[in-house]
Amino acid sequence: MEVFTPRSLAEALRLKAEQPSAVPIEGGTDVMVELNFDRARPEALLNLNEVAELRGWSRDNGLLRLGASLTYTEAMAAPLSEQLPALAEASRTVGSPQIRNRGTLGGNLGTASPAGDALPPLLVEAAEVELSSVRGVRTLALEDFLVGPKRNALEADELITAVLVQPSGARQTFMKVGPRNAMVIAVCSLAVSVDQERCELRAAYGSAGPVTGLVTAPLDEVDSFPERVAEAASPIDDVRGSARYRRHALRVLAERGLQRCLT
Amino acid sequence: MARLIRTEKEVEGRYTEQWIVVDEDVLEQWPAGPLETVGRPVPRADGGQRARGEARYTADIKLPGMLHAAILRSPHAKARVRRIDTGRARRAPGVRAVLGPETGPLTDEPPYEGAPVAAVAAETSEQARTAVSLIEVEWERLEPLLDPEEAVRRNELIDEPNREERGEVERGLAESDAVVEAEYRTQTVLHNSMETHQAICEWDGDDRLTVYISTQFIWGVREEVAKRFGLPEDHVRVVCRFMGGGFGSKNGPGDYTYVAAELARATGRPVKCALTRREENLDSGNRNSTIQRLRVGARSDGTLTFLDGEFVNATGWDGWLASTGGPMRLLYACENVRTVEYGAKLNTPPMAAFRAPGFVEGTFGLECLLDELAAKLEIDPLELRRRNHSTHDAVDERPFSSKQLLECYRRAEPHWERRDEVRARSDATWKRGVGLASQVWYGGGGPPSYAWVRIGGDGRAAVITGMQDIGTGSATAMAQIAAEELGLPVDRIEVALGDSARGPYATISAGSSTIPSMGPAVRAAAADAARQLIEIAAQRYDREERVLSLKNGQIVSSDGGSWPLEEITGLLESGQILGKGSRGPNPTGMRVLTFGVQVAEVAVDVETGEVVVEKIVAIHDVGRVINPLGASSQVEGGIIQGLGHTLSEERLLDPSTGGNLTQTLDAYKIPTIADVPEIVTDLVDVPDEHLTNLGSKGLGEPPIIPTAAAIANAIRDATGADVRSLPITREEMLRALREASRQPAREEVGA
Repeated sequence: MEVFTPRSLAEALRLKAEQPSAVPIEGGTDVMVELNFDRARPEALLNLNEVAELRGWSRDNGLLRLGASLTYTEAMAAPLSEQLPALAEASRTVGSPQIRNRGTLGGNLGTASPAGDALPPLLVEAAEVELSSVRGVRTLALEDFLVGPKRNALEADELITAVLVQPSGARQTFMKVGPRNAMVIAVCSLAVSVDQERCELRAAYGSAGPVTGLVTAPLDEVDSFPERVAEAASPIDDVRGSARYRRHALRVLAERGLQRCLT
Repeated sequence: MARLIRTEKEVEGRYTEQWIVVDEDVLEQWPAGPLETVGRPVPRADGGQRARGEARYTADIKLPGMLHAAILRSPHAKARVRRIDTGRARRAPGVRAVLGPETGPLTDEPPYEGAPVAAVAAETSEQARTAVSLIEVEWERLEPLLDPEEAVRRNELIDEPNREERGEVERGLAESDAVVEAEYRTQTVLHNSMETHQAICEWDGDDRLTVYISTQFIWGVREEVAKRFGLPEDHVRVVCRFMGGGFGSKNGPGDYTYVAAELARATGRPVKCALTRREENLDSGNRNSTIQRLRVGARSDGTLTFLDGEFVNATGWDGWLASTGGPMRLLYACENVRTVEYGAKLNTPPMAAFRAPGFVEGTFGLECLLDELAAKLEIDPLELRRRNHSTHDAVDERPFSSKQLLECYRRAEPHWERRDEVRARSDATWKRGVGLASQVWYGGGGPPSYAWVRIGGDGRAAVITGMQDIGTGSATAMAQIAAEELGLPVDRIEVALGDSARGPYATISAGSSTIPSMGPAVRAAAADAARQLIEIAAQRYDREERVLSLKNGQIVSSDGGSWPLEEITGLLESGQILGKGSRGPNPTGMRVLTFGVQVAEVAVDVETGEVVVEKIVAIHDVGRVINPLGASSQVEGGIIQGLGHTLSEERLLDPSTGGNLTQTLDAYKIPTIADVPEIVTDLVDVPDEHLTNLGSKGLGEPPIIPTAAAIANAIRDATGADVRSLPITREEMLRALREASRQPAREEVGA
């Protein structure tokens, strides 16, 4: 297996165009698991750790630009955590400190697992994904980017370069149900926000359908919203939990999330 | 004079009779309570080495020229090899030997998923694994038997059912004012030792074999390996210096050792066979699942009138019938007790002993049943247990060598009395409660075990024995025992162990037996050396032996004189003082058992079903405590392991194929540090006056036994729901809550 280590975004995009089958790797918290379990044997890895343009976050006219290499640990730190509090909460539930130091938003999006912890809070905040290639740059709504279980809208020559968010300022929270207190993949998770300004309730569930799903409703439909969230999900039975339990838990999490955001 | 006697030996609750030779001079036990070193907290001698990664485990050993083995394991629960082609594997890079199913222990009719079929030795483990993937097999899949109840119906059993009865259950039933009947289930649990099962075999010529192995019993491995290869036992050397956990699953050599030995013989090079984590979770043993149909009757004052239990163990393809009915037979005074235990022979991987095998499972059922009875009788659960306290072993009418269970109960009271306060902290979502459960187990150890003590000119001592320290800190405890007897600071004692060629026979480290079996032999050896020191000191310093003693590294005379030990040993230059000691018999006609009680405080989220264990108080009677620091670590380890099987651990099999769905630590959830509650350890440190020259019983297993039932009983206290099935996942918790809400409240039943 070859490993390419570009030193700039331009070089990274050129390599990706030349080697479309190269798998991008950042913290390796997903990719290395696939390799170690022998579920994937890519011809090449594209190591993005040396691409400075992908790191950190910035603000332009209120619009937040989160680099694809932003780690969970960075997402947990102020002042970013004050702008995107649900994302910070979700980041705190990821793995162990070591995993949070390595794992990145770009990786979470690239893997596009229905259990990806960063996805529900970003969906609730109507985030967009910036995709770059030697052909140019495009942005997609996160909802449109997630097209199936572990499938996304990336073209073979594209890299995820950033997540763009206009923070809503709405009260928001993230909750996760797992079989133990740490180091777990969610049985199910839920991000909830109550946007008083736009008079909207928003919720996004994880591990309860083939993709992370977004549910919205007008502010005055608070009472029926938990049920709506539970109905919108399409969970399955697996080793982590049953579909029936997941639906039940989503209802409870939605109630609790609304309670937190309304008081 | 050496004396030959016939005595009884117990390991994991199984008794055998044996001949032993005992020495004549029997030492008096030390007085109770902390002494100079024994009974005081001593940090582990090798703790730093382990923490720094310097301890060399079997997994760390790389011998010159060593090859690595990999095993092709059956992907099917029951199958036959129609055709196997190892040609591509033989030609793969780095491969030095391939064994097919014609070589034992490999098989062409694997009876469970994970059974070994073929094996490869290559220069690296990656090459070996790659070669295994190139072995082509045409399988004939056969219908597996997976359901334990179906196996019992078909009489597919691992052994004859174990039926035991005393008194008459029917008579007890007639005398009962209240009867409770319930079915309890426990799941299959995997050991998951940090160091996976592994061995390195190295032949010296064709008739001498050295085995480096992660094991709980180097002498057992020596005996079995010698037998298998037709070698004199002294031609087999077994080494285990540091060991990364076994919990009962490493009591014997296992298939991987024989695979390594066969491949080493075929290649003329040392071969390591180390299981991967997936193999570990497939085929290194397990705590088998159980179904327990239990009944209890009592008079209105709480006196038990009968206990009746039917236990179905899903033993798997091989193994033995764990004593799931043991707690029911042993824990309480009850005249009428009937138990029947079945071991279902299934197309699933064989069980292995796992930390108090049978008793962990049986105690969950029995102690939950007792609390359900207490609720029905409206008797305080602690009081119910007191009223049925047994003063002797009702199975065979023997007195206990010691029993401090009532003292354990007394010490439990302040924790138990917190119930109202804990419950009062409940709100609409989180319900809180307190529960307790009692425990009985073996743990008296037994002979034979031997130790040597060597004192050099520098006044330092070495304890030499062929025992292994499986990570429990038993080497440190042995150093303390020798230090006490020799009057030396503990840092002047070296413990040399883990090598069958460099020390005498020593106990298996299973059945909570290392300290009770080995400790008395070490003390006897140290006393033998101490006697010789006193004798030569008496000659050198012109005193009577009776006025001399050893203390703080000095020879002390009652007339006030004292001399450093190295002054007299130094006279000998390269000369050494050698002491030897052996383990004497267990007390004749008595039953040696360990006892205890645990009190758990829990919080239950009644909406999501999350159970949080907030605190566990563990009060145990294990006789004299040698090292309180090591002992509390053992208790904490037992409780954390118990917490795992209570709340999150479960090996899941695909019900149609028998395939293991939880082979990785991602799918199989052991507790993390974030799941660990506050743990309070309180050991009733009273020596067993009848047991050996130490009065110490074992502690490895007792702390895991009552944890699940204490938690389940706390959940009942908090929510009114009966949880009768492990693990208590969120779904199981919600199911129990739904069931409880469907049933009329208990008060209404009584009205």
